[in-house]
Amino acid sequence: MIGTATGIIRALNSGIKHLAIKRFTLRYPEEKLKFVGDGYQFDPSTGVGIAGLKGRHLLFHDHCTGCQLCSIACEGVAEAIAMVKVPEEHKQNKKAIMPQIDYGKCVFCGLCVDACPFYALYMTNDYELSSFSKEGLIYTPAQLQVKPYVAQDSEIIITSRGATHG
Amino acid sequence: MATELPSNIKSSDVLTDQTSSKWLPPGLALQKVDERIMTLNVGPQHPGSGHMRLIVQIDGDYIVACDPDPGYVHRGEEKMAEYRNYITNIPHLERPVIHDSCNVLYPYVLGVEELLGIEVPERAKYVRVIASELNRCIYIMYWLAIYGIFLGHSTMFMWPAGDRELLIDLMEKMTGARVTHAHFVPGGVRNDLPPNFEEVCLRQVAYFEKRIKEYAAVFYDNPILIARTQDTGVLSRQDAIRLGTTGSVLRASGVDYDLRQKEPYDVYEELDIHSNVMKEGDSYARSKIPWLDMMESCNIIRQALQKMPKSGSVRVKLKPNPKGKGLNTVYKRVESGRGSLGCYIVSDGKPEPYRVKLSVPSFRNLIALPYLLKGEKLGNMPSVYWSLNYWPVEADR
Repeated sequence: MIGTATGIIRALNSGIKHLAIKRFTLRYPEEKLKFVGDGYQFDPSTGVGIAGLKGRHLLFHDHCTGCQLCSIACEGVAEAIAMVKVPEEHKQNKKAIMPQIDYGKCVFCGLCVDACPFYALYMTNDYELSSFSKEGLIYTPAQLQVKPYVAQDSEIIITSRGATHG
Repeated sequence: MATELPSNIKSSDVLTDQTSSKWLPPGLALQKVDERIMTLNVGPQHPGSGHMRLIVQIDGDYIVACDPDPGYVHRGEEKMAEYRNYITNIPHLERPVIHDSCNVLYPYVLGVEELLGIEVPERAKYVRVIASELNRCIYIMYWLAIYGIFLGHSTMFMWPAGDRELLIDLMEKMTGARVTHAHFVPGGVRNDLPPNFEEVCLRQVAYFEKRIKEYAAVFYDNPILIARTQDTGVLSRQDAIRLGTTGSVLRASGVDYDLRQKEPYDVYEELDIHSNVMKEGDSYARSKIPWLDMMESCNIIRQALQKMPKSGSVRVKLKPNPKGKGLNTVYKRVESGRGSLGCYIVSDGKPEPYRVKLSVPSFRNLIALPYLLKGEKLGNMPSVYWSLNYWPVEADR
């Protein structure tokens, strides 16, 4: 009986102590998480990736040859990549086709980045891709070319009074 | 098996297929109606993760029989794997348990490495062990949060759900994704650790360990929890072995069986691992073992970070479409957050596997549920059910 009472008091005491401890709540639209690097990248010469967030893709038009390897890699995963005609001409891209990515289907595994042998497809830190329509989720090669601006201001800070997003 | 009709039902009222009237699948056969016994369908709802139904027969407040009915979230992962090559299978095969995605992928990756005859770099093995242990903690924290809410202990829901963030942040830095990492590949891992990772990892894991120790006062030493879970759903040592349970359920019944010790894979044999065993075999022991496992995981992460080679490659360069060498089979298993998780792969020399079979711990632990619930009060059902470390999506694949 006494053991039960002290046990409950200890549990309550532990809860009360935590009133003063900082919490993990991230006030999301105002605060945004900080990431490592500029997104997931892949170096085909060594065959090893570079750590980073797997977010929206970044396409380099001057590197892309229209070889469709990214599309083939995606075939078994999500079928999110379609090769579409682009108006401008590049001398390395005779067929003038480039990937168009449907973010309604993409699972952000990054296997398309691993498949690209020409340093043309990387991923960025951009994760805010929501749209009011399904068509708005389809990113054309011209949209994928734009490097996004991503606000990053919060990371985990551990103090004696608990851990928090700073 | 001929079915006997209750006296109040005429045989002409019952529609039977003449060809199949001799045999009916279990659960469909008519049973004698006892006025005292009520059948209760618990589900198919979303109790913690994935849809699941328990058909419970109760006499007053006591459970007479329980028939678990899994299969509501069957997604055909194994069949899908036969149409995809060894690399594109990776994002699919981690879907059954998204919170434990590194561990569910581990046996597949080990198996494919053996099929293709790949030697993995030393540093990649350590990175895999760290990722796998972090993922185990993330899974157990999620499990613990749901266990808290199952028992009506909302503090125990909030704390683990918040503290998980420490490790999810580490996994995000390491793999680039918060939940489904797709990090392990045949031949190593996708990318090397980011700069400064070891320091951040040690700091956050140390704080994480300090936090989980605080759960003792509010949850594990709490007399209310002990009164509710002690001596409920007792699984004896013999029954645990005979029913084929695994992981924390087996270790809570007094069997010291941890695959990281008994069948070490990758670099686990170089690490000092202590496996947690309790003798009671009740819900309390089954809920405490994963908590102790998390502390052990923190130790393993620290050891692995210390022993890891500071530089070197983490991935072997493979051909674009790797093929197995002729007809070949391989079976590999690892200790996941729930128990031993096996993967059986048959290759016939094509870029796609001929067959992939996952042998999952959730399904094996579920087999014990009808035996544990017999004679329990209905109010104890949630705690016994969730203490089995059962994950519906994984059991259905």
